Amino acid sequence: MGTACGYLDGVLLDQVSKRYGRGPWVLRDLTLEVSGLVVLTGANGTGKSTLLKIAAGVLKPSSGRVVRPASVGYVPERFPSDVKMSASSYLAHMGRVRRAAAKDVLERLGFVGSLTAPMAELSKGNAQKVALAQAFLATDLLVLDEPWTGLDPEAAAELCVMLEGRTALVSDHEGHLASATRVDLAGGHVTIELSRVVGLDALEALEGVQSVLSRGSSARVVVAPDRSDQVLAEALRLGCSVRSVR
Amino acid sequence: MISLVRYLAADVFRGQRFLAPLLVFLGVMGMLFAYDPGPQLSAYSGSAALIYPICAWLAVVVATSEDVVRREITVVSAGGWSRVLSAVAVTTVLFGLGVAVVATVWAVVASPRPYTFGEFLAGLGAHGVCALLGAGVGLLFARPVFDAIGRTVLAVFAVVVFTYPLGRWTPLGWVLDVLGHNQFSLAVLWAGVCGAVLVSGAVVLGVRRV
Repeated sequence: MGTACGYLDGVLLDQVSKRYGRGPWVLRDLTLEVSGLVVLTGANGTGKSTLLKIAAGVLKPSSGRVVRPASVGYVPERFPSDVKMSASSYLAHMGRVRRAAAKDVLERLGFVGSLTAPMAELSKGNAQKVALAQAFLATDLLVLDEPWTGLDPEAAAELCVMLEGRTALVSDHEGHLASATRVDLAGGHVTIELSRVVGLDALEALEGVQSVLSRGSSARVVVAPDRSDQVLAEALRLGCSVRSVR
Repeated sequence: MISLVRYLAADVFRGQRFLAPLLVFLGVMGMLFAYDPGPQLSAYSGSAALIYPICAWLAVVVATSEDVVRREITVVSAGGWSRVLSAVAVTTVLFGLGVAVVATVWAVVASPRPYTFGEFLAGLGAHGVCALLGAGVGLLFARPVFDAIGRTVLAVFAVVVFTYPLGRWTPLGWVLDVLGHNQFSLAVLWAGVCGAVLVSGAVVLGVRRV
């Protein structure tokens, strides 16, 4: 396990694996070199957010090596909604922490609202624009987890323009960056572990289900990545308990 | 580091969770010094004993002021957990030293007995050491060492409560003992070293935990 800085302006993940405590492996022996714009795709629970956190330096991998540049910008999946600090104060502090000058990100994304009011009073979209503005203070690498969440169409389009020419690792369900290099994290299938299984036959019959292994009241369902959300929803509707999705 | 400490301090002030320990501190200080508190250094023993839990409480407030997600952003912006946790420790110690200064000056102003500059410095040192010990205990059990605030509160409360009956078996006891005898000795310095080790240990433990 190791982490280092100084890998040009991209990030290298070398044989990275991650598990939380003694839980199941979320990532196994993943090698990824990011230079330019890379979009992560994959169904829920395939480890996209975990991979992004490792790339950004929030999490350490259980094993493997990460080399990243000095200046990394990160936008989490959900920016907190109860921040008492104002947007202008927050961005000024983050700028000082990074020793970077503020940019015109908020203007370009069409921020509407008070910069001096507590961020808790901002709409979801405007709070997301503040989150993006602090990330764009970084000069080398951007790590963005679902950055279009809450953005209006104009801001979403502008964000795509802003990402052109940058080195960024971005998770995206909606295909905003058609020209970017795509990495499918699912690796061909999603494994759903269920307990208190009812209606196994109904699950087996669903489109995309590749195999079902039953063990007592538990079951392991292997499903195609693009159908995992539907299978998960059906399992929950049937009353199964979902133990893990990976 | 300075910009990170400024940010964390600003966030604590914005959050206002620091008000509860501050008001408890001010209220109890008012009671302690309502009447003649006794000889100069002995008078400091009550406020020094008070600063310990107050600073443990403040440490938890500073360490958990940012929620988990915003802390992640700060970690990435600052360049790593070690920088952020060090800044949290520095911010906590600065808050603790601020409280120590208030407590030391309070006695000089409220007590009818005159204080020499040496006694003032001895009191400031003793209060600073107790603040450091409290900060160390608070940080040792706060996020990211313990993720759940309930566990943090229970652990800090338990350690703080059990410290007093142990008397001279603890660094806090060394400080309170010498102050209670209206003296000042090297024991305070050693207690300060223990406090510094606690704070540093909390940072190291936090970095290893994430």
